[in-house]
Amino acid sequence: MPITNSKLYSRHGLWSLFLICALPLHLWTIILALRDFSWVAERTNAWDAIGVLSYGMVFALIESLMIFLVIALLGFLVPRRWSYDQRIALMSALLLITALWAMIGQLYFLLDLSLPETVISFLGRSRHPLRVLYVASLGMVLPTVLYPAYLILGSNRAFRFMQGLTERLSLLASFYLFLDFAGLVILVIRNL
Amino acid sequence: MKGNLDRREFLKLAGLASLSHALPRFVMAPGTPQPSPGKKNILLVVFDALSSNNIPFYGYPRQTMPNLAELADRAVVYHNHFAAGNFTTPGTASLLTGTLPWTHRAFNYNGTVDGSYLSRNIFHAFQDHYRLAYSHNPLVNTLFDQFLADLDDYIPRETLFLANDGLIQALFKRDEDIASLSWTRTIKRKEEGYAYSLYLSRLYEGYRESKIANLKPLFPRGLPNISGDNYFLLEQAIDSIGGQLSAIPQPFFAYIHFLPPHFPYKTHRDFYGRFANDGFKPVQKPVDLFTQEKSPDNLLKWRTWYDEYILYADREFGRLFNILESSGRLENTWILFTSDHGEMFERGISGHTTPVLHQPVIRIPLLIFEPGRQVGTQVYTPTSAIDVLPTLLHLSGQEIPDWVEGLVLPPFTQTGPALERSLYALQARNNGKYAPLSQASSMLLKGRHKIVYYFGYDQLGEKGNRVELYDLEADPEELDDLYASQPGTGTQLLDELKSKLAEVDRPYL
Repeated sequence: MPITNSKLYSRHGLWSLFLICALPLHLWTIILALRDFSWVAERTNAWDAIGVLSYGMVFALIESLMIFLVIALLGFLVPRRWSYDQRIALMSALLLITALWAMIGQLYFLLDLSLPETVISFLGRSRHPLRVLYVASLGMVLPTVLYPAYLILGSNRAFRFMQGLTERLSLLASFYLFLDFAGLVILVIRNL
Repeated sequence: MKGNLDRREFLKLAGLASLSHALPRFVMAPGTPQPSPGKKNILLVVFDALSSNNIPFYGYPRQTMPNLAELADRAVVYHNHFAAGNFTTPGTASLLTGTLPWTHRAFNYNGTVDGSYLSRNIFHAFQDHYRLAYSHNPLVNTLFDQFLADLDDYIPRETLFLANDGLIQALFKRDEDIASLSWTRTIKRKEEGYAYSLYLSRLYEGYRESKIANLKPLFPRGLPNISGDNYFLLEQAIDSIGGQLSAIPQPFFAYIHFLPPHFPYKTHRDFYGRFANDGFKPVQKPVDLFTQEKSPDNLLKWRTWYDEYILYADREFGRLFNILESSGRLENTWILFTSDHGEMFERGISGHTTPVLHQPVIRIPLLIFEPGRQVGTQVYTPTSAIDVLPTLLHLSGQEIPDWVEGLVLPPFTQTGPALERSLYALQARNNGKYAPLSQASSMLLKGRHKIVYYFGYDQLGEKGNRVELYDLEADPEELDDLYASQPGTGTQLLDELKSKLAEVDRPYL
């Protein structure tokens, strides 16, 4: 595995990282906005429903930029001895895993799920149920973040897998940027 | 505001609330007709979704409006007053234009009036008054946006929100409603538990909650809000509006539209639980074809929450009245108290988003407080929201234009509406704005009879229509549909209603 002291990020790497940031945010926005589409169309009309979707895409783009900035800055915490490709792969993995957890957190409400009765009664008996819940969540999330990080930095195979995945997902995310552009045009038309 | 300012420039100025209120004259463009000294002020106060059927002096057993009941002893009280539609857009547009929904065409959700009404509306009619408008409800703001050229002072609704999305509303002024809706779905998990945003929604929530945390104990059911977490306090709105009415040039014409008691029904803790377990049993009515499948227990719960919210609105209207009285404004101000539509908790239906036109959703209060009047007058003649504009024109000594469809209300004229007058209401939320009416609920009220003709709804099956006939004098609760048993009256009224529908459809065929 190459260990280098070269610059922190390449231009191509930053672009890939941005696309990876954009991917889950746009995907989630599209899924939920399409869920809302018929509700809005029935309440007002199809043009308004397209409007809601368009604003959603533009807001997702803005959030993507903000998250990208935060993730890129977090990359500075990664020791310089790791190559910028590894840095991108690592940050991409962290981003995708946390996004997945955020989606699972929302799916809990979307699918109208509830915690098992035993867990609820355990929390009820606890003096600090919220703290217990947070610690339990952290206990679940942390290994799913740390283990892939360890693999990417320690195994050439895992690193290559992540690099390949990043490239393929970036292609999909580029398509979402096209939708952003369309959303932006619709937004301008609606505000003329 | 008149003159060369465009809409965006106007809203920029309006956004500078403190400046525009301190120096109202400066924002009036040169050439604007100046307020005429000597004329009386007019204040039109609308409480959204307030049904007459839930007000004690209209026959409701719960004491929901003790302050208004006391003030009613000094007012002209209209007992059979009707909205022209069953939700905000048509109800308010009819109030503002003096015309019926099929004429002004604002009958879709968040709809706008036909372009010809940009110069045919209540604000345009009072050019010699200083005209001020405020609304919590964005559907009303959509109408205000159309009438901006005739407003001297338009208070942006977010000005009176506790924590607002002012940036979104400022950025997307021309598409505020949809931009706000999308923003809500993007950033606010609270309503549903999920949002388009995966990360920022949590940060945003924390920020918003911190801004209202200290007020939460005052509202056990949550802070009053509209469109997600646009929280507001009616007290704050009343104080602000009351203060402004005392400061703006006279004579003024002010249209103020408060959201309470519109859903969500979140009353102040002073009224929380006031009607819980009071033993009140509403009249049980048959489940309607357009039922939302709400159980009687559920309907009673919402009714009770609604009634307790009315108490809050009542107290605050009483305070507004006191503010105007103590500032001396009451001596030369006509005050009209009304609503844009009603609310219902019966027949399996809760709220007003429904095709039905039963009394609770269209029968609304109207009280007129005349300067100096100390004696109450009761009016039982059926009247409509479209009568408000011609009445105000009459009271201010102006001619009534021929495009106005309403009539001057009694007792202010001897030639007011006859008891046998034909009075209409329409629900056509999903009908094309400029299309003939193909899916609608239409009502004709004449004398003691009321006929409702529904057509074009999927629920009506193959027949495609439904007709109901009620004798409101003998059966004010509309329990007994007489259409089958009184074919003579039913056919006569239905023919008249259908003839009217054909007439109003003609330009769009």
